[in-house]
Amino acid sequence: MLELTANSIYKNFGGLEVLKDVSFTVEGPELIGLIGPNGAGKTTLTNILDGALKPTSGTVYMNGERIDTRPPYGVARAGLGRTFQVTRAFRRMTVLENLLIPAMAMRATARQRDFEEKAQEVLEFLTIAHLRNEYARALSGGQQKLLELGRLLMLDPQMIILDEPFAGVHPRLMEVIYRYITEINAQGKAFIIISHDMDTIFTLSRRLLVLNYGDLIADGDPEVVREDPEVKAAYLGEDE
Amino acid sequence: MNPAALYRVSGSIAVIILVLLPLASSEMGGVGPFVLNSYFMHLAITAFFYAILASSWSLLAGYAGQFSFGHMAFMAIGGYTSGLIGKFIRFTTAPSELCTDIPLPGNWWLVVLNIRRVGTIDESCLDMAKAETLPAGTLIVFPPVWASIAMGLVMGAVFGLLVGWLVLRLRSTYLALFTIGFSEILRASISAEIPITEGQSGLELVPLFPAGIMGFSSTSKIPPYYAMLFLFLFAMALMTWLAGSRFGLFVRAIREDEEAAAALGVNIVRYKVLVFVVTSTLAAAAGALQGHYIGIITPNTLIILQMSLVIAMAVIGGLENIYTASVGAIIITFVLELLRTNVEIGPILIDMTLWRLVFFGLLLMLTLRFQRNGLLFPILERISRGGVAEETVSIRVEEEELVEDEAGVDVEAEEEERAASPGNSK
Repeated sequence: MLELTANSIYKNFGGLEVLKDVSFTVEGPELIGLIGPNGAGKTTLTNILDGALKPTSGTVYMNGERIDTRPPYGVARAGLGRTFQVTRAFRRMTVLENLLIPAMAMRATARQRDFEEKAQEVLEFLTIAHLRNEYARALSGGQQKLLELGRLLMLDPQMIILDEPFAGVHPRLMEVIYRYITEINAQGKAFIIISHDMDTIFTLSRRLLVLNYGDLIADGDPEVVREDPEVKAAYLGEDE
Repeated sequence: MNPAALYRVSGSIAVIILVLLPLASSEMGGVGPFVLNSYFMHLAITAFFYAILASSWSLLAGYAGQFSFGHMAFMAIGGYTSGLIGKFIRFTTAPSELCTDIPLPGNWWLVVLNIRRVGTIDESCLDMAKAETLPAGTLIVFPPVWASIAMGLVMGAVFGLLVGWLVLRLRSTYLALFTIGFSEILRASISAEIPITEGQSGLELVPLFPAGIMGFSSTSKIPPYYAMLFLFLFAMALMTWLAGSRFGLFVRAIREDEEAAAALGVNIVRYKVLVFVVTSTLAAAAGALQGHYIGIITPNTLIILQMSLVIAMAVIGGLENIYTASVGAIIITFVLELLRTNVEIGPILIDMTLWRLVFFGLLLMLTLRFQRNGLLFPILERISRGGVAEETVSIRVEEEELVEDEAGVDVEAEEEERAASPGNSK
C-alpha cells in the first residue's frame, strides 16, 4: 500500500523561508486537498515532492524509499505523478504522442504500438478521443488540462498531485475532471489537489492540509479544518 | 496511397536516382545532353556533405530544441583528428628510437612523430631515424584512411559528450553563446598551433582512396561520390530510426517542455547528452570524409558564416524535419553555385559571386518572416497530416450520433415500458 512521508521539510529562497518544518504522511488512496493563500508554499511543496526542487532540509520517503534526492524522472518512476499550475502540454506534438511519452518512459523496452490501445481508452474516458491526431496546440485550454490528466493515467503512478485542476475550466469540463478524480481515486490512487475553488475542494477531499506562509497550520477532516480558528484567521476569513 | 507508403516509394526512387547518377557522368562515359561533368560531381559531393550537416543539426535543434552553433566545430574535430593522425602516426616494424614508440602486438610499433626544425627545414623524427637508427628494410606504414576517419568519429563523439554534458542546464541564448564560444576557442587554437595544425595554411589530408579503387584514380570523383552518398544515406537511415523511436519522442518532449517531460519519467540528462553525441558524431564523420576528399582542412571552416550557412539550409528547407533540412541543403548548394553566373542588366554588370549571398540572406529573412517552418516542411505536413482535420470531425460526428442514438433508444424503451405498464392500459 502507498505510503508517502514528508519529514520536517524546510525550503529557503535566499532569506525567504518558503516552507517551515512541514511534515505529513499519506497512507493509502487518500484524497487530500492542499489549500493556502497565494505565497503559502503550495507549489514549492509540490515541486519538492516531485523532485524539481531539493529541500533545504528534511526528507521525503515514498514506500520506504527516499525520493527527495532523486531527479524528477526518478520520482515519477517511483510512482508520483503531477500536473502543473499552468498547463504544460507538449504543444507541437500530437495528442496521442503526448500520451505515449510517459508510458514509454516508464518501460525501457516498450514500443509505441504497445500503448496505443490504452491511450485510446484514456482519451475516450476523458472525452477527447476525436482529437487523438491533432497537435496539442490546437486544443482548448480545458482540453489541454484533460490531456495532462490523460498523461498521468498513462504514467500510472500511485499518487497524483494536481495543481489547480479547476482553474479557468468550463463547468462541463469541470465535471469530467471531477469524475476523473473520484473514479481514479476509487481505483486505489492517492490524490493531493491544490485548489482555490473552496466549494469543490471541501466537497471532493476527505482530508485537508492548510499552508500559511510556509507553516502547515492544519491537517485533518475538512469539516474540522473549516472550523479551526487559525485557518479561519489565515485564509477563510473570520466571518465564515 | 497513405503517407508512409508515399514516403517509402519516393525515398526509394530518390535513392535509386542518386545511386545511378554517376552513370551519367563524363568519367563513366555518359552520353547525351545530360552528361554530368566532374564539377557537377564535386557539387553533388559537397551537397551531400552539407545535407549531413544540416539534417543532423535539424535533429539537434529542430527535434531536440538545442540551438547549438558548434556543429561546424564538431565537423572540424572529425576532419582535424583524421588529418592529424595521418600527419603524426606511423606504424613500423622496428622502434625509431628518436620518436615516441609504442609497442604493438606482432612486432609492430606505433610511432608518434614530432616535427623538428633542422636549420631551415622541418624534418620529422622518423626522417632522421631513417638515416640514423632504423635498420634497413624496416616497413613504415601510414595509418589506413578509414581508421583515421573512425578516430575522427570517436573524437566527435567524445567532444559531443563533453559539450552535451556542459550545456545541460543552458537554454536558448546561453546555449547559443556557449557553443559559439566553444567553436571560436577551437578555431583560435587551431590557428595558433601552427606546428601541429599548420594554422591558417591548412592541414593537408591524404586522398580518400590514396591508391585509387576499382580502376578509378585517387583524383576521380566517383569513389568520393559514393563514399559521401553512403555516409549521407547511413546518416538519414540512422536519424530516421532514431526520430521514429522513443529517442525521437523524448527529445521532442524535451524541446517542448523539459520540466514536464522529466515529471513524466523522461531521463532528460540522458537524452540531451545522447542527442549531442549522435549529431556531433555525424558532423565529425562528414568533416573527416570531406577533409580527405578535398585534401585540406583550414580553420576557416569554423567561421560563424559557415555555421550560418548550415543553419540557413536547415531553416529554409524546414528545421523540424531531417528530410526537409537535407533536401534544403542539397538544393541550396546547387542554387548558390548556379547563382555564380554574372548578370548583365543593360550597361550594369552584377557580380553574382558577391550578390548571390545577398539574395540568399534575403531568402532566409523572407522564410523566417512568412514561412517559419521552412519552404519544404509545409508540403510534407500537408501530405502526412492532410486527413487529420477531416478525421477529427468525422470521429466527433460519429460519437455525437452514437450518443444521440443511445439517447433515442432509451426514450423508445421508456415509451414502450410506459405503454406496457398497467396504469396506461386504461
